[in-house]
Amino acid sequence: MLKIASLVTATILLSSCSSTVEELYQKVAPRPAVVTSQEDVSATQESIIAADSSSFQSQEFAGNHARSAAQNNAARMAVAQLKNSGAKFVLHFSYDGSEIDEAATQEVIKHANFMRDNPALNLRLEGHADERGTREYNLALGENRALAVKEILGLYDLSSRVNVISFGEENPTAQLHNESAWQQNRRVEFIYQ
Amino acid sequence: MIKLIAAFLTFYSASVFAVLEVTVLKKAEDAFPIVISPFLVKGDAKQGETIAHIMRDNFNRSGEFNASSADYIVTSQVDFDKWQAQKTEAIVIGKLEKVSKKIFNVEIELLDVYSRKTLYAKKFAVHNSGIRRITHYLSDQIYFALLGEKGSFDTRLAYVTVANKGRGKREYKLEISDSDAQNPQTILRAASPILSPAWSPDQNKIAYVSFKNGRSEVFIQYPFVRRKTQKLPYFDGIASAPAWHPNGESIVLTLSKDGNKDIYSYHLKDKKLTRLTSDVSIDTEASYSADGERIAFTSNRSGQVQVYIKHLKTGKINRATFVGSYNAKAVFSPDGKSLALVHRVDKDYRIALLDIATKDLMVMTQNKLDESPFFSPNGSMIIFATNKDDSGVLSVVSILGHQTFELVSKAGEVREPNWSHYSK
Repeated sequence: MLKIASLVTATILLSSCSSTVEELYQKVAPRPAVVTSQEDVSATQESIIAADSSSFQSQEFAGNHARSAAQNNAARMAVAQLKNSGAKFVLHFSYDGSEIDEAATQEVIKHANFMRDNPALNLRLEGHADERGTREYNLALGENRALAVKEILGLYDLSSRVNVISFGEENPTAQLHNESAWQQNRRVEFIYQ
Repeated sequence: MIKLIAAFLTFYSASVFAVLEVTVLKKAEDAFPIVISPFLVKGDAKQGETIAHIMRDNFNRSGEFNASSADYIVTSQVDFDKWQAQKTEAIVIGKLEKVSKKIFNVEIELLDVYSRKTLYAKKFAVHNSGIRRITHYLSDQIYFALLGEKGSFDTRLAYVTVANKGRGKREYKLEISDSDAQNPQTILRAASPILSPAWSPDQNKIAYVSFKNGRSEVFIQYPFVRRKTQKLPYFDGIASAPAWHPNGESIVLTLSKDGNKDIYSYHLKDKKLTRLTSDVSIDTEASYSADGERIAFTSNRSGQVQVYIKHLKTGKINRATFVGSYNAKAVFSPDGKSLALVHRVDKDYRIALLDIATKDLMVMTQNKLDESPFFSPNGSMIIFATNKDDSGVLSVVSILGHQTFELVSKAGEVREPNWSHYSK
């Protein structure tokens, strides 16, 4: 496995063509055990998200005090561009699951390519859980979700630039106590720094 | 001096405002009928009724007693026939005498209505500030005289309150109170979550999880020493789920510094870290048995979330729960024979009691989202967090299965309960 991983990394370094990277990744990526369907979530989610936008603002760029205002502005622009290209900054998970499905893997790869194009940026992955089950278990589960994303980025040699934090069930985006709110809250958020 | 008193009064009234509301829900059908008479007061002392009142509330909260007052002050000439006819089984009478500005003489006697004998009697002097505490102590003595078991009255609670401050901001407070939720004190305020408060066995420290540095870390606070906090060393990843060893010298906690979430013990004086589990799965929510020989913990090593017990002498780990697809956050009963835990029933999360030897599991509640069970120090009750009317409340269930009382905050949610050992 290690050999394959380093082979992939080497190939990535040789080729900047993203389709090659994707093909290679698909050969080595473990198949997900559970596939989450994002389509049927989004339809029911919009009303909840809209109602809750006052208490939760998704943040894609946190800035960095070590950089100048101009550098931070440039970084913010780059992140906004990635956002506009349609890349997802929030990935959702199945109940008690931390597996990354095929569609989500493609989203992580977009971030991997973005990070390689923007070597000054670091990424914070925030893992979250829904309110069901115990708080401390959920804290561990949130970290596993963020680590699952980091593991893919690690295949691109980006581990050292990725920081993982778990908030467990403490920072829900949807405040309701129902299936669709829970689905929305089981997530990893991408925040560039 | 006057300024000082004024400052104290302001502080005091602010605390009174934050008292959790206590609602007694249901008593056992065979609840023990006891009358606690108003005290006979010599001199100017309102505290006589205070003592009787606190005591009645204590017994009614326990779920095992039906405590009422008498419509007159019962003195040592007790009309036993009358009380027998009213089906009262025991009666408490008392005297309070003011001997100086702040000092009172208290006399108390517990009488068995049927045998007409004195089961407990005590006479002592007490300072005004100690009246509440001494009343809890006396309640424990009377409880023992009647049931042959310890009470849990002279003890403290710790819990976390959460208030919405608007614009998505919240205020979290770590609070402690007496076992009847009176005398609340705020130990810590934070804009970020506070989790898992745990009283040390000597009741001088509280371990808890804070996110104040943007990540979960374990701290130890000295609630009776101003601004004294002990921080554990920096560990990469999660540090969470602290629980005390019964000797008070070390804690168990969950760390993910080596990638996996595993359980470690940390010796507070030697600063020595010992790994207790090492599995690629999530291991967390450890708690010690009262003899310190076992830990119970949550793990998803089987693919499901279940509770395991590790015998620390042999190193052997056994799965404890086999009923249901989700069992977590187990705590040992004081006698070490059972575990209280969170158990999933269909889509609901409820509190259950597991007999460790027989593996029998009894579901104790009917709610949707129960969390954080913890035993009263005498093992007769389990306090836990649940949701009521869309807000977090604390609830208490007797191990015999009836719900006894509820603690509700007017200011917001209350969660993460922990019950101290006996006061020293």
